[in-house]
Amino acid sequence: MAAHNLRWYPGVVLLVVLAGGCTGTSAREEKVTLSVFAASSLTDVMPELAETFERAHPDVDLRVTFAGSQVLRLQIEQGASVDVYASANDAHMNALEDSGHVLRSHTLASTDLVIIVPPDNPAGIERFDQLTQAERIVVGTRFVPIGAYTDAVLNNASVVLGDDFAAGVRDRIASMESNVRLVRAKVELGEADAAFVYRTDALNRDRVRVVPIPDEVNVEARFRIALTSETRRGPEAERLLDFLASPPAREIFRAHGFTGAG
Amino acid sequence: MMLGRTYRSPMVGLGVLFGVTLVGLLVLPFVALAVSTPVADLRAGAEHPLFAPALWLSLRTTLMSLSITVVLGTPLAWWLASSRSRTARVTEVLVDLPIVIPPAVVGVALLETFGRRGLAGPLLESFGVSVPFTGGAVVLAQVVVSSPFFVQAAANAFRKVEPDMLIVARTLGASPVVAFVRVALPIARPGLLVGASLAWARALGEFGATLLFAGNMPGRTQTMPLAIFSALESDVRLAVVFSLVLAAVGVVLLVAIRFAPMLRRSPARGAS
Repeated sequence: MAAHNLRWYPGVVLLVVLAGGCTGTSAREEKVTLSVFAASSLTDVMPELAETFERAHPDVDLRVTFAGSQVLRLQIEQGASVDVYASANDAHMNALEDSGHVLRSHTLASTDLVIIVPPDNPAGIERFDQLTQAERIVVGTRFVPIGAYTDAVLNNASVVLGDDFAAGVRDRIASMESNVRLVRAKVELGEADAAFVYRTDALNRDRVRVVPIPDEVNVEARFRIALTSETRRGPEAERLLDFLASPPAREIFRAHGFTGAG
Repeated sequence: MMLGRTYRSPMVGLGVLFGVTLVGLLVLPFVALAVSTPVADLRAGAEHPLFAPALWLSLRTTLMSLSITVVLGTPLAWWLASSRSRTARVTEVLVDLPIVIPPAVVGVALLETFGRRGLAGPLLESFGVSVPFTGGAVVLAQVVVSSPFFVQAAANAFRKVEPDMLIVARTLGASPVVAFVRVALPIARPGLLVGASLAWARALGEFGATLLFAGNMPGRTQTMPLAIFSALESDVRLAVVFSLVLAAVGVVLLVAIRFAPMLRRSPARGAS
């Protein structure tokens, strides 16, 4: 009886296998697909840039993946097939250059850091030196660029505002997130009293309030972009990099709060 | 044997091929994990500053969540097994919810419940209790995702207890509690152990809900799975070593689940 019920089984399996195989061949197009790995903090600016680029280059299709720069770097080291990599700091880009995974890189854009607090500001933080009033502060892990920059800011703060202040802030760190958007989400959810993010992540967000970091403590966050050595779409990738350095692209970067030209 | 019947043999061959493929898919990753780790890496991993605190925290929190699960879950499972009411059937479905819901969703839901802006959060905060981003949040997340496995297995185990045996015990003068402890528990013990082991394994592996609800803080909320996730961002070899330790714990648990009930079957019968 069991054999009876199973009679249709190989046929169904065959159908499933065929159906699975079909999607690969039927979607054949003339378009070239460029795979781009971009730091999380580029999540908002990238779609607009991609759209403008694709309008000017209808033959190219951009597929952008966002994650913490260190996660993307790991995936490139493990052989992910990607054409362009945009990192939120020098360290990860330099590491990939040293290991021969990227061909050449240049600065894409810059920003700096700010403190964000929830709109109702439960800890009453109006100035940077009041940060120790927070009960819970959220930062990035020290492997993700935002975490490394935060560490640099706190090192500066211990020189300018004293070791006790910097140690007090570190004591109040409740969680270390793996990318800057997860850091911001903790404040937007109201779970953190304060967090360190890029200025560009705090722009035009109604669920966070910005508390500036004094210039003598702040650091410049530099985004870099590179062509990977594995790319088989060299010419198209070059066109993308050229576009990102062009005036229209600079204009989009500026509109999203980034400074610094490529 | 089935293979002798010629008209079925192509099918059997296909079945064997499929089965072997699946077993290979399930086992191969762990073999790869084991053979890809040099002994020197193992030592370096064990001495890494993230390793000991994460392992210790994982053991502490999972033992805590397992205790809570067993204490709260055993009476519930007994009720689910013995009641024929519609409420019991509805409750049984509710208890299974965390099994079918992705852990990330459980994490968000826990934040919406115990978070500062959550349903119960402000009330708790007025008592000075704040759950998210603490060790308590780790335990809570583990209880939510793992207890259904225990309750389910325990209810099934209690269903094997014949009501007549309890009635006999009662007629011999045992109180309901004594009858439960002396008759029902020993009979159900193999099933309870399996349920507890499954729940413990699930709690040990808990990642998504913990990351969202308890955050990631070494020494405070960073359990082994979160440490693997963090290590992956700095040193792949380290993540491999951490993973190997968790996989080894899993294998030990699995062997215990499979073979402990066999060893205990006869004493359990004898006790009744």
